[in-house]
Parts: sequence; C-alpha cells; structure tokens
Amino acid sequence: MTAYIVRRLWQMIPTMLGVILLVFFLFNWVGGDPAYVLAGKISNQEQIDNIRRQLGVDQPFYVQLGIFVKQILTGDFGASWSTNERVSHILVTRLGPSLTVLVPLMILGTAISIALALAVAYVRGSLTDRAVMILCTIALSVSILVYIIVFQYFFAYKLGWFPVQGWGDSFVENLVVYASLPILIGLAVSIAPNLRLYRTFVLDEINQDYVRTARAKGVSENRIMWLHVLRNASIPIITHLMAALPGLLLGSFLIERFFSIPGIGREIILAVERSDFPVIKAITVYVAFATIATNLLADLTYKAVDPRVQLK
Amino acid sequence: MATDLATLRSPVPPVRREIPHTVSPGLWTLGWRRLRSDRVGMVSLAIVALFILMMTLSGTGLVARDWAREVGVNYAPPSWAGAAPAGGLLATPDTGVVTQGAAGAPAPEFKSSVVDPLADVLAELKGEKPAGGASAGDEKSVDPLADVMADIRKGKPVAEAAAEERRATLPMGGDKWGRDVLKKTIKGSETSIFVGLASAFVATFLGSLFGALAGYYGRWVDDFFNWFYSVFSSIPDLLLILAVAAVLQQKGTMTIVLILGLTGWTGVFRLIRAEYLKHKSREYVQAADAIGASNPRRMFMHIFPNVSHVVLVQLSILVVAFIKAEVILSFLGFGVPVDVVSWGSMLNEAQNELILGKWWQLVAAGTAMAILVTAFSLFTDALRDALDPKLKGRAGA
Amino acid sequence: MNDAIRPAAAPVASAAADPLLRVRDLRVSFRLDRDNVFEAVKGISFDVPRDSTVALVGESGSGKSVTSLAILGLLPPENSIVDPRSEILYGGRNLATLPGAELRKLRGAEISMIFQEPMTSLNPVFTVGYQLEEVLMLHMGMTGRQARKRAVDVMREVGIPEPERRIDAYPSQLSGGQQQRVMIAMAIACEPKMLIADEPTTALDVTIQKQILDLIADLQKRRQMSVLFITHDLAVVGEIADHVVVMRHGEIREQGAARAVFETPQDSYTKALLQCRPQLTRRPLRLPVIDDFIQGVGPQHVEERPRGVAPDDPIVLDVRNLGKSFWSREGIFGKREFKAVKDVSFKLPKGKTLGLVGESGSGKTTVGLTLMRLHEATTGEAIFEGRDLLAMSPREFMQYKRRIQIIFQNPYASLNPRFTVGQIVTEPMQIHGIGSNAQARTEMAFELLAKVGLPEVSFYKYPHEFSGGQRQRIAIARCLTMKPDILICDESVSALDVSVQAQVLNLLQDLQDEFGLSYIFISHDLAVVKYISDQVMVMNNGEIVEIADSDEIYRNPLQPYTKRLLASIPKGWQARS
Repeated sequence: MTAYIVRRLWQMIPTMLGVILLVFFLFNWVGGDPAYVLAGKISNQEQIDNIRRQLGVDQPFYVQLGIFVKQILTGDFGASWSTNERVSHILVTRLGPSLTVLVPLMILGTAISIALALAVAYVRGSLTDRAVMILCTIALSVSILVYIIVFQYFFAYKLGWFPVQGWGDSFVENLVVYASLPILIGLAVSIAPNLRLYRTFVLDEINQDYVRTARAKGVSENRIMWLHVLRNASIPIITHLMAALPGLLLGSFLIERFFSIPGIGREIILAVERSDFPVIKAITVYVAFATIATNLLADLTYKAVDPRVQLK
Repeated sequence: MATDLATLRSPVPPVRREIPHTVSPGLWTLGWRRLRSDRVGMVSLAIVALFILMMTLSGTGLVARDWAREVGVNYAPPSWAGAAPAGGLLATPDTGVVTQGAAGAPAPEFKSSVVDPLADVLAELKGEKPAGGASAGDEKSVDPLADVMADIRKGKPVAEAAAEERRATLPMGGDKWGRDVLKKTIKGSETSIFVGLASAFVATFLGSLFGALAGYYGRWVDDFFNWFYSVFSSIPDLLLILAVAAVLQQKGTMTIVLILGLTGWTGVFRLIRAEYLKHKSREYVQAADAIGASNPRRMFMHIFPNVSHVVLVQLSILVVAFIKAEVILSFLGFGVPVDVVSWGSMLNEAQNELILGKWWQLVAAGTAMAILVTAFSLFTDALRDALDPKLKGRAGA
Repeated sequence: MNDAIRPAAAPVASAAADPLLRVRDLRVSFRLDRDNVFEAVKGISFDVPRDSTVALVGESGSGKSVTSLAILGLLPPENSIVDPRSEILYGGRNLATLPGAELRKLRGAEISMIFQEPMTSLNPVFTVGYQLEEVLMLHMGMTGRQARKRAVDVMREVGIPEPERRIDAYPSQLSGGQQQRVMIAMAIACEPKMLIADEPTTALDVTIQKQILDLIADLQKRRQMSVLFITHDLAVVGEIADHVVVMRHGEIREQGAARAVFETPQDSYTKALLQCRPQLTRRPLRLPVIDDFIQGVGPQHVEERPRGVAPDDPIVLDVRNLGKSFWSREGIFGKREFKAVKDVSFKLPKGKTLGLVGESGSGKTTVGLTLMRLHEATTGEAIFEGRDLLAMSPREFMQYKRRIQIIFQNPYASLNPRFTVGQIVTEPMQIHGIGSNAQARTEMAFELLAKVGLPEVSFYKYPHEFSGGQRQRIAIARCLTMKPDILICDESVSALDVSVQAQVLNLLQDLQDEFGLSYIFISHDLAVVKYISDQVMVMNNGEIVEIADSDEIYRNPLQPYTKRLLASIPKGWQARS
C-alpha cells in the first residue's frame, strides 16, 4: 500500500512537468510575445522593451521556464495584469464562493441521481424507463445557456423569488439567498446526464450473476437493489465523482458569470476576456495539479470500496 | 409455428444456393438492418440528415444567403403571434417602416452585447433599455465590429433593403435590427453543425490514431501516449479550451474547430486504447500473428474494423459535445467572429431580448439546437444498440 | 420439430409415489425482438423424487439450464415467457404461478441453487460470512451472532479449512474450489429439501471437480435431500445420478433410472451421447459421430488404433530447456518474476501427437504460445530442421512461421468477425505468396473447405453464420493453406459439445493420416488426450511431471501428481457397475 502510494507520487512528476511544459508552450510560444498583449497596441517600442524586461521574455527560453517553475513552486505569480490584485490572493478568495455553490449541488445532485437511477433501472425496459430516458436525452439537449437564461428570467426577474444576482459577505446569506437559484439550475442541468450514467452502472450490476444468486437465496428485490446492487454500483459512481471533481470547479463558470458570483469560474472568464495571462496560467496549472492529486485519491478510494482491487 | 421457428433459428442452412456468389450480410449490414428496425433511431437519423442538408444548402448559399438583410422592423414579432404588442419598448411605427438609413450613424460610446458579451449583462441591460428605442446605432460601437458590419452591408443590396418596406412581422420574428430570425437560425445552424462535425472529426481521428498506436504497440509507445494523455486530461476540458482561446488572439471558425479538436481527443484515446489492448490479445489477432500478418496489417486490417463501431459512436457523442461547447464559447465571445452567426451568438443576443419580452430568438435558437442534439443523441443510442447488440438497453452517457 | 422423437417415456413417477417436485408440460420461450420468439423449452415433464439425485443432461441449447431457472422463477423477466399451462408442482403448489413473495420464502430455504461460475455468483464486495449469514437471518430468523456461529459450522461441513478465519474473507481471496464450497454452504445452510446444481463443476479443474462432486453426493446422502444436477457431461453424472433425463433442443429425448439409461439406452441421441465421447478404455480408429446414431447406422465394430512412439521415429521438433517468465510490479520500484514455464524439454516425432495435459496455471498453453513466438521465450531453444526457431530474427522466422500453426480454444474468438471465410482462408496464402494469383488461391480455398467438410458457399459467408464446430473447421482450413509440419491444438475441442467434438477429433485424425502432420495437443480433458495422443506429457506449475507413451502413462502412472490427476477423471456409470 505504502509502496503503491510512493510509486504513484513518483509517477505524478512527469505528468506535472508535462502540464508545466504545455502551459509554458501555450503562453510563451503559441500566444506570441506577451509584452504586446500586455501593452496593447498603443505603446511604443520603448514601453514594450520595458515590459519585456520586466516579464523576463527577453531572456532565453530556459530562463523563462525557470521563472515559470519558480512561480509555480512559490505560488507567487505576481499581480494580475488588469486589476493589479495579487494572483495568489485572487485564487484564495475566489475558492470560497465556488465551493458554496458546488458542495451542496454535488451532494444533492448525486443523491437524487442515484435514487432515480436505481428506480428506473428497477423498471428497466418498461414504458416509464424509456420515457424517463428520452426525457433525459431531451433535457440534455437544451443548452445550459437556455436553462440559465430562462430560470433567471422567470424565477428571479419575473417572479422575484430569488435575487437576480449578487453575493454577500455572510456565508449563510450567500448559501440561502444567493446560491439557491444557481444550485437549482445546477441540479436541472446535472441530473439528466448523471441519471443516464448511473443507470448504466446499475444495469451493469443488475445483470451480474451474484444478483441471480441473491434471488435464489430468497432475498427481496428491495434489498437486492439497495444493498447488493448499490454497493457494487457505488464503485464506478464514486470513481466517476472523484474524476469529475476538478472539472466541477469550473463547470459552473456560466452560472457564476450570470449570477455574478465571485468564484474561480467567473474569474477565469474575466481573465480570458482581459487576456490576463498570469491569472489564467495560475488557475490552469493549479487546477491541473489538483486533478492529478484527485486521480490518485480516486484510485485509493477505489481500493477502499472494492475488495477485489489489489494495489501493488 | 414451431417448425418455422426451428428453421429460422438453425445457424446455417446447408443448402447450396443456385448462385454461389450470393454475398452474405456482414456485421455492418446486420447492424444497419437492426438500426432500420429501430423506429426512434430512424426518425432521429432523418432529422439529423435534414439538419445536415440544411447546413449544406446554407453553406453553398442556396438558402439564407441574405440572412443579414434587415427585412423587418426592429424586433418584428413572429407572424403567427400577431403584430408587435402596443407599448413595446421600441418605437414600432404603424407603417412598419423604420428609417434605418442611419445604419451608419455612429454611437461610439455604446457597447452592444454582441461586441462585448463579457460585460455584466443585466446591469448593461438597464442602460440599454432607453437607448434601444431611441437610436438604432447599437451595432456601430467598437472599432473592429463597425468595419465588419459595414462590410457585410456593402455586400448586400443595401439600397434595396432601404427602399423596401420593412415588414411588421416575420415568420419567426426579427432581431434587434429587423433581421429574419428564421434565416439567422438556419445560418447559425450551419456554423454550429459545421464546427461540431469538423472538430469531432479532428478529435476522433487524433484519439483513434494515438489510441491505436498506444494500445497496440504497448511498451514505450504506450508510456509516451499515456503521458501525453494524462497531461491533457489533467487540465479540465473547458479550462484548456478557454486557455487556448485566450492565447489565440484571432477568431475564426477554423480556429474554434482546431481548439475543440486538439483538446477533445482524450476521451476517444482512452476508449480506443482500451479496445486495442483488449483486441490485441484476442485469439483472432493472435491467429493473424501466427499466419504472419504484419503489425500494420493486424492494426488496421484486422483490429480496426472490429473497433470501428466504437469510433463511430464516439464520433457522434463528440459531435453533440462540441456543438454544445461551440454554443457556449460563441456565447461568451470566444468562439466564432462577430460577422458569423451561430446558435451561441444568437443566444447571447437573446438573453437581453428576453428581458424586453422578445423571446423569439431565444426560442428559435434554443429549439433548433435542442431538436438537433436530441435527434443526434437518440441516433447515437440507436447506433450503439445496432452495432453492439450486447449492450442493448444500456444506453448511457 | 423433429418427427423422429418418440414421445417421452412416462416420468419416473414409479420410483416414488409422491415425488418432491413434479414438472408438467413446462414451456419457456424468449422474445428475441419485436417479431421473433424462440421456444427454449417445448413442453417437458419430469419428476424429482424425494431423497434422490436426478441428472438433467443435454448439450448447449438443449434448454436444461432454462428449465432449472424456471423452477425457481429466476428467468429474466424482461424477455422470458413461461407458458401459463406449465406446472411446476412442489408441496401441492404450482411454483410457475406462485406470487413473488411466496416464492421468495421457498428460495434458499426449501429449494436452493448453485451455479456454474462461483467467482461471479458470489457478491464481490461482501465477505463470504456476510453472504452466508444473510440467508440464515432471512429464512431461519437467527440473530447475527447465531447466524455467524451457524455459518462457521456450515463452512466446516462443506470442507472449508479454518472456517473461523475464512468467514471474513472476500470471495476474491478464495480459490475457485473454495468459492464453490461457499456457494454450496449457502445453499444448504437452511437445510433445503432440494438442491439445484447448474453445471457446478464445469468451470473447475478436474481434481477440484472430483472433490465438489463427492461433496454434493455426500451431502445428498447425509441430508437426505433431492438434487437436480444439470450438466452436459454424462460421465460426470454417471457416478451419482439415480435418474437421468436427457434433453435436446428443448425436448426430453429419454428419461428413466440411471441403470436403464446408461446400460440400455433406447433413444438414438442418448446412445450417441454415450458413444461419441472418447473413453479411457477404448480407442477406435475413428470416433462414432452423432449422425451414425440418428440415421440408425449405429456403431459398427471398428478396429482399435495403435498408439505410441517408436525410438526410431524421426524427430521434427526438439525443444530444450524452454522457460518463460512474466514480471509483475512489486514494492516501490521492484518487479517480481513469475515463472510460467520452467525448463521444459521434449521431442516431437513426425506424424505423431504429443498430448500436453495439466490443470489451469500449469503453463501448458504458454508452452504452445512460446513455440509459436506469440510470446517471446525467456530461455531455451526449439530446434526445427537444425535451426533454433527461438533465436532467429523476426524476419528470418517469417519463413518458418507457416511451418508451425496453431488452432485456438474458442472458435468464436479466433476468426475475425469482419472477414468472410474466403478472406480468412486466402489471407495466409497472400501473405506467404502461396498460389500464383488470386484465382489459384480461391481454387485452393475451395478445395480445403471441401477437405474440412464445409460446403462451397461457406466461402462467401461470415463466421457468425457458423456453429462452433464449423468455425473450428474454418480455423483448421486456414492453417492447412500453409501446409504446416506442426499443428498446435490449444484446447481446440474443449469448447465444443460432445457430439461436435467427436467430429473435429476425427477430422484432425484424418488430416494427420493424410498429410503426416505432427500435433501438440494441449487439453485439460484427460479422456480426449488419451484418445488422440501417442505420447502424453503431464505439466504442473510450469514443470514437466511425467512424459510417456499414452497407454503407458494411463496404465501405470509413476508420479503422485499424475496418479491424482488420473484418479479424478469421471469414470461414469462403469465405475458403479
């Protein structure tokens, strides 16, 4: 077990180096000279040279790469190009609002999806099952933008049940007042795909031999579904959840943007709009590192829930 | 009855046919037969085919060529909904004529959401409401856009448009400038479907090629592609797309195809690699090895036809995913350039219009997309069932 | 339907006036798609008397497993239809129409069932103890503590060593034999009156198979329960069955007391089943095949085939010190070596057959694959025409590749489903430049298809249109195109039904007689190996245990492992009479 973790940690290093190289390549080579981006079109050569010196882009590439690696290791990406706010400060302060929306969304969404998935898998092949599946397909086909626009218009603008947008200082206020409509929209968007996926996982298990054994033992259908099947289906579900975790952090960026929630997702959109490279670079690298770490965590969880897996 | 079934089930009728060259149905033919007997799948296929036909017609200029002409009054309502409601925020003269000769009238300080969708929408809206009725200069706001719009208009028979009477209603309503929403939707479909198809082809090609090489050759080839894969997949898709979009300053349909295609191959890679790993050790491939078939021959002649259904299904899953992604990117203004209309840019305009009560552009773009994507997804499910009957009824994400 | 079928003899009711289970006119069909229904069981009737073992025997597609699942109502509800006229009478109630809740009270308590694959039949994420206790608490109303105690007792009863420790193990931590013992423990925990065993030994090694068989027979006697034993292998049930029911294509061909069925079979199909399978005691020149019996030709008296290797036989392949290791990760950067084949040496005489027997994991398949260079050997050499095949460059080996060919076990996996039979058979000729042009190759393909007994139209068909035996013929035709000297048969007949197996074995023998091929015949089936081989090599844990002429090794095994292996061969009815 320890050996496995050590080896996996060791194997993470090339991946991290790859991410660093990829981001460096994107921003320093594909993107052209960042000095022009930063300075805009109005500046003269002298200003540009000045900026180039500050950014270090007049140095050979390995020096620049060194600077980049140092930035990543120290967490000091300097200041945002557009707001002059420290990048590290941006990252730390934007995490909270994102999590305020995401954590409840994930808990509720997962619970509802699993319950519905078990229910429709139980009546597999029936009219209900097929109707729910087609409904899911249609729900999946409507753009998330339409959900947000329409929900915001009706529930907030027209009916006034929720504030149209905004964010406060108190956690409870944010959660109850400002986050509820975003969470509702998040549920509307995420349940359909999760339900479809989890139903597949449950169906895979329902067709296994051990379910037949349980039936042959006289175990009731309810117990088979909620105990025997769910315990097995939870293995792919947990793995899927863990893998989706870092993506979720950004996945709700549209919601954050529409509702002016000062989270990571909105921050990245603002940064892209403003060509605020330090912020984009920092978010990309750290989210990638977080993903790599969650992947390891996912494998360890996998081991914990599945006695068949022997990690060597 | 029982006798009929018995004959029907017998594996091979050992009857010598009159013409020995009767070609037996292969797995593709059988799959196509299964697909044809799937009503939902066939209806979906027909709808998808219609959309692709529409895309082709629009792309070749046979329909919706004049989508940018301002044929109706501003925010002309759909014909079937009746003429514009009284008390609308926009001055809609009874004559139905809006003298928009001021098309070139500069209103430099005003930012339209088309140009700058990044601004806070609702706040912006409040500032826009009074302006909307008073001036028609919205589209002439920021430098690059102005040129583009002027170009577009030059290309069209502007004089004609000006001379022509503007219609009070349009089949599916009109947008802010009185352009026909129906034509706009057709033109927008062209862009969105093209981007979806083209980028899915790029991503599927890359993913299949990498996956085949990694899964088949194993060892250091596998290690290398796996490293490449884990680097790409550890950056969440949307973040990678946004980062590339931020770096690539020029916008264009081909740019977005490349962004989506070059970042979206990871899922296909993972599946195809796994398929190749599985098939590599299958007995029919070992048998091919035993008779002396070379590596490329085994990879492409033997294994590929047996995993091609996975490729096909992945391709159609990606088309749907990329259409959705394009819509979001264009909505945010990172997608297609402003002189190109797509479902995303339509939805961008639509969010402001909705608050003014002008819902038709939202409904048109949203519905067109929903119909296509639903049809495509249902078709994908049917395709999967038809090509891999073992999975029947397990349609999943 | 087949008109030749005689009306099934009266059910074995005479054995006991009041049988435990009475099946009357059972009909089961499956919906294939919207328009097609497949009738799997076509109105069968039989009885299971009290305190006795009834064997339900049939080849694949006979409907035997469907019948057993129908008794407990375990057929998949989505696509199976049990005809409402069907009756499954148990204790005065019709199980076919019993409401679900009532049926559940019987399942596991009065009638229980075990299955073919113990590995997948146990829930992988619960300990075996949990799964045992579940059934005890459910039907016997025990508390957790009582159930655990009883679970340990039952595990001991079915012969699981150290049950106190094993009770907390997960199924994946037990061997296949132990898993099946756990399944049996679960089935008998509530002292059922009847045990349905659906091919319980088929997935197990032959020595384990014997143990499980003995366990079931022993439990049946001790508990005085009835056992319905479903199998494809008459030899397996010969030792334990009191009554035998023979099924084919969803119908009962013959049923009666075991003695009657085994000694004086009335039905031609039953006769065929008894005769087609190679027997340890006889070795006819050709095996009788099913058509002989169905057409009423009957088994003619055929002369015995002499087997054995003479010292002056020319040697075609000389294998010396063959070794193959696999490495698995261990520790932080470490690797662990696993020796699948250790120091194996043998000589293959021309025109003879070397049988290679062993249980799973013995390394017998690896030997075959390594000789073909489908795996790279770790050590050793294989001398063929004075050259070491294993030391050649891949380029050089290309010329020798066609000289050694292989036929795999699974006829469903060894043919590319996207190729027509024509493409499959002509491809090797194309690769090796055999035949001057496409026309010549096609001609040759037709010839070879005829040789292996397939009609000409097969050339244009796809593999999925053929049965298992026919596919194996296609695979043989593919090998023959290259005119090999050596043919490795890796469990090539193991996946086939008994009647088809005999046909393929005959074909292989004919080809050897005609072309002087040398075979390496790898199999776990000792009776088949005895029949086809001149020389037999027994392997265990990657090593050769014993190698000798086949008659000699079966008559006079020297090594204890060989003795144990041979002792576990099902002897069938002969063992009792």
